[in-house]
Amino acid sequence: MASTAPEKEDPTAPAPVLGPGQTYTTVTQKISSIITSRTPLGWIIGVALALGLMQCFALGVTWLLIKGVGVWGLNVPVGWGWAIINFVWWIGIGHAGTLISAILLLMRQNWRNSINRFAEAMTIFAVICAMQFPLLHTGRPWIAAYWLLPYPNSMGVWPQFRSPLIWDVFAVSTYFTVSLIFWYIGLIPDFATLRDKAKQKVSRVIYGILSMGWRGSAKHWHNYEMTSLLLAGISTPLVLSVHSIVSFDFSVGLVPGWHATIFPPYFVAGAVFAGFAMVLTLALPLRAVYGLHDFITDRHLNNMSKVMLATGLIVAYGYGMEQFYAWYSASTYEGYMMQNRTWGPYSFEYWMLILCNVAVPQLLWIKWVRLNPIMLFIVSMFINVGMWLERFIIVVTSLHRDYMPSSWDMYRSTPWDWLLYIGTIGIFLLGMLLFIRVMPVINIVEIRLLVPRKGHDKKPDHDASADASAD
Amino acid sequence: MATESFDHPFLNKIRTLGLLFGALFLVLTVIGAISNPQQFYQSYIIGYVYWLCISLGCLSLLMLHHLISGRWGFVIRRLLESGARTLPLMVILFIPIIFGMHNLYEWTHADVVANDPILKFKSPYLNETGFISRAVFYFVLWIGMTWLLTKWSRTQDETGEPGLKSKMINLSGPGIPVLILSVTFASTDWVMSLEPHWFSTIFGFIFVVGQALAAMAMCIIWVVNLSDADAFSEIEASKYLSDLGTLMFAFTVLWSYVSFSQFLIIWSANLAEEAPWYIKRGQGGWDIMAVALILFHFALPFFLLLQRAIKRRAALLLAIAVLMLVMRYVDLYWYIAPSFSHGGPVGFHPHFLDLTIPLSIGGFWLAYFAMQLKGAALVPLHDPRMAETFAGEGH
Amino acid sequence: MAENSIYGLMAEYDNPDDLLHAAQGAYAAGYRNMDAFSPLPIHDLSESLGYEKHRVPFWVLFGGMVGACTGFGLQYWVSVIDYPLNIAGRPFLSWPMFIPVTFEMGILFAAFGAFLSMLILNGLPQPYHPVFNVDAFESASSDGFFLCIEAEDPKFELSETRNFLEGLHATKVVEVES
Repeated sequence: MASTAPEKEDPTAPAPVLGPGQTYTTVTQKISSIITSRTPLGWIIGVALALGLMQCFALGVTWLLIKGVGVWGLNVPVGWGWAIINFVWWIGIGHAGTLISAILLLMRQNWRNSINRFAEAMTIFAVICAMQFPLLHTGRPWIAAYWLLPYPNSMGVWPQFRSPLIWDVFAVSTYFTVSLIFWYIGLIPDFATLRDKAKQKVSRVIYGILSMGWRGSAKHWHNYEMTSLLLAGISTPLVLSVHSIVSFDFSVGLVPGWHATIFPPYFVAGAVFAGFAMVLTLALPLRAVYGLHDFITDRHLNNMSKVMLATGLIVAYGYGMEQFYAWYSASTYEGYMMQNRTWGPYSFEYWMLILCNVAVPQLLWIKWVRLNPIMLFIVSMFINVGMWLERFIIVVTSLHRDYMPSSWDMYRSTPWDWLLYIGTIGIFLLGMLLFIRVMPVINIVEIRLLVPRKGHDKKPDHDASADASAD
Repeated sequence: MATESFDHPFLNKIRTLGLLFGALFLVLTVIGAISNPQQFYQSYIIGYVYWLCISLGCLSLLMLHHLISGRWGFVIRRLLESGARTLPLMVILFIPIIFGMHNLYEWTHADVVANDPILKFKSPYLNETGFISRAVFYFVLWIGMTWLLTKWSRTQDETGEPGLKSKMINLSGPGIPVLILSVTFASTDWVMSLEPHWFSTIFGFIFVVGQALAAMAMCIIWVVNLSDADAFSEIEASKYLSDLGTLMFAFTVLWSYVSFSQFLIIWSANLAEEAPWYIKRGQGGWDIMAVALILFHFALPFFLLLQRAIKRRAALLLAIAVLMLVMRYVDLYWYIAPSFSHGGPVGFHPHFLDLTIPLSIGGFWLAYFAMQLKGAALVPLHDPRMAETFAGEGH
Repeated sequence: MAENSIYGLMAEYDNPDDLLHAAQGAYAAGYRNMDAFSPLPIHDLSESLGYEKHRVPFWVLFGGMVGACTGFGLQYWVSVIDYPLNIAGRPFLSWPMFIPVTFEMGILFAAFGAFLSMLILNGLPQPYHPVFNVDAFESASSDGFFLCIEAEDPKFELSETRNFLEGLHATKVVEVES
């Protein structure tokens, strides 16, 4: 504690991660009040909107199940259209959540504490949305189980483990389960807080059941902390593996434009890139509506922007490598694919993608942009669009020019594609809104760790573990 | 304030031994080179790329440290700077490769290119002028960035000017993408084009990860051996060994991940233009080396470094770091040496030059490194971020 | 007997440091059957109460190993023994292509290991516990810090223990009904 002085002299010192004057009592009060207070009108409007969007999903699914996947814009040679694009897009959004909750925990980046819970919830709902697409793409999901999951069935048939699509089933369901476990473990002590704060008997009972009798005893914390750390440790390679496996869906095949060894790391970076853009898209309005400026501070905006910039550069590196090695390979197919992607019928989408994912994110080099919520929101929206376009380009431009010109075709989406896509946005929004209303949107325990200890004049923006151990 | 310098018996020992062994192995190398020039160039490129990767790994970790400024970074900053400052030595050592281009690279032979449509197609990139001018360009970039970063860091020691911190951060931000791109193309030029028909888009990335791993292992070796130096005891450097071990673990896992990804994608597609690269490396003795890579470049360090108790024991961590440095050489050997079969069956024919060359370059590299390390204090003196990072330290 | 009808004595503290000092003091005085309660994890607190060993890591590693073996074994059995199919001429034992599922299964079981071992070691879910009988204990999940010495402890003696706890800067000491 010898040195609080140099920070004050240094104008470039990082902004605090927790606003001044917060104590254990105030942080608990502030965060749980989001739940215990009256339902704000904005929330009701939001839920109405989300339910409206979900009707699109219901409509889209109903018609799909009646008519079959032909109602989508799919046809030979483009057999994978919006379904896989949206699947990859949603999974990618989920990844930022795990990055924030696991990787940044391992790196002792305590600024993540206040956005962690929110990001984890985002992961779970995004994965739920993602799972809809491949399941529906099977056409008749209720009988797809026997070739998706290995269970002894009356036909004596087993899944084909040399297909990356089966790897996806394992990866995504593991990812969903582990995220849920991680999320729930983080929630247990907060449920205990809500149990003790609840005014009505019903909520006390429900939160009581959810908290499983958590007492906050030293023994509880002893095992709890170790479990969180280990779950973070296993989530980190998990998140890397999930999007790598998604990228294997494309890259282990032969299709030019899909078969590239750079795909795994480039997909992972793209996922984090898209995910952080989505975190900001959601967190910036949330912060304004609920007045959470003390918890989602300028430092968060700055750091999240830097992560977006870094992952965006890796994605740009991926585009560059694809271009260079398509030429360097001296392969006719690779060369034609890239020429068609860049200057062919989908070149508008390709250059829009370059604009959204490569050009616009360079604004994040400027500190003013990183700290300006409105600018940041705009940049994030560009990235959301750009990352969707990236998957579109990868899926469609690689397929629509088959090896034989007689098989060439153009891919057009149909209204049913749109309905499903918009519908999943409804599912996601509804999930997030319900989460905000019934669960602590910020991890209260981890925020308590940021509160300066009494008797220590330590600044709260130090590393949480150093804080807890300073004695 | 005068420029600080640093002295330690280990440094002097390494300098003397490095020069001695460097010279000794140089003599053996010269004997080998005279009797078998072709073998000399083949072994030389492996040994050269190995040590260059360590220098470049130091530069990339240095820039990473400036950007994220973890505690571990301040402990090893001077080591990273000294490692990056060996790059001028690597420029001189690059000269034999220019002389050996015809022995190493098929695409330098006009008659081969004329009869090979693929090489003809690639000739706008794979040609001697391009090769040399790109090499000059990479070295100018790397040495330029190193020179600025180390100059600012040393000036900061003397003057404590707070603005230098931002300068180093501002250079490192764009510096990392520039470094990754240049390493990608350098690895394409120098290693991938040894088999000029083959290509892999993740190749540069594998080199970026591999060099960071090698540099981290090198730093751990130095931190353990210098742990009784005053500057290190003052900041209790040995406490950060487990952090460094964790980073080495992370790079080991990352290396396994990128290497396996490349293998899986090429193996499963089984394309005629890609698969032969792995087929060569999976037979005739190379397969044993591949298994050794899985066991000792991944499995063993993975399970050892998973345990916190091991990362905290300096002697064990040192042993793992040495293992990683050895395995980095094995990995590069497995990547490069089978390239020289030129169509024929590839046997596993190690030559004594495969040992004397890396040891000779290594001796000079370490001696040069030790001299660089002497030039400044072992730990940065006036970085404003240090005070805040090491403040309230109970960790 | 008053001592049989109570679970223990609970002292309330103002801040984490007082609780930590009290726990250390009580442990030094020879008390063993006690527990500390706080709304946030406090470094060194569990160690000062004598919980040193971490058992969770073993179960995570165990789960991971079991999962990975199950995953690989399942794929081997399905693809080589029970239902061998020629897929694009690849060998039945396409081990590189079995790694992803092996890995995912390892992770899944490791996570189960972490979750279940945490719950079991902590004795959760536990619907009833005597400490909840204390009214003020509500704040243990927001801003209160408590140390409870159980009546089972061989050194426990109602008035003496009460005096002892009060001597350790407790703001309040109450009896916990069992």
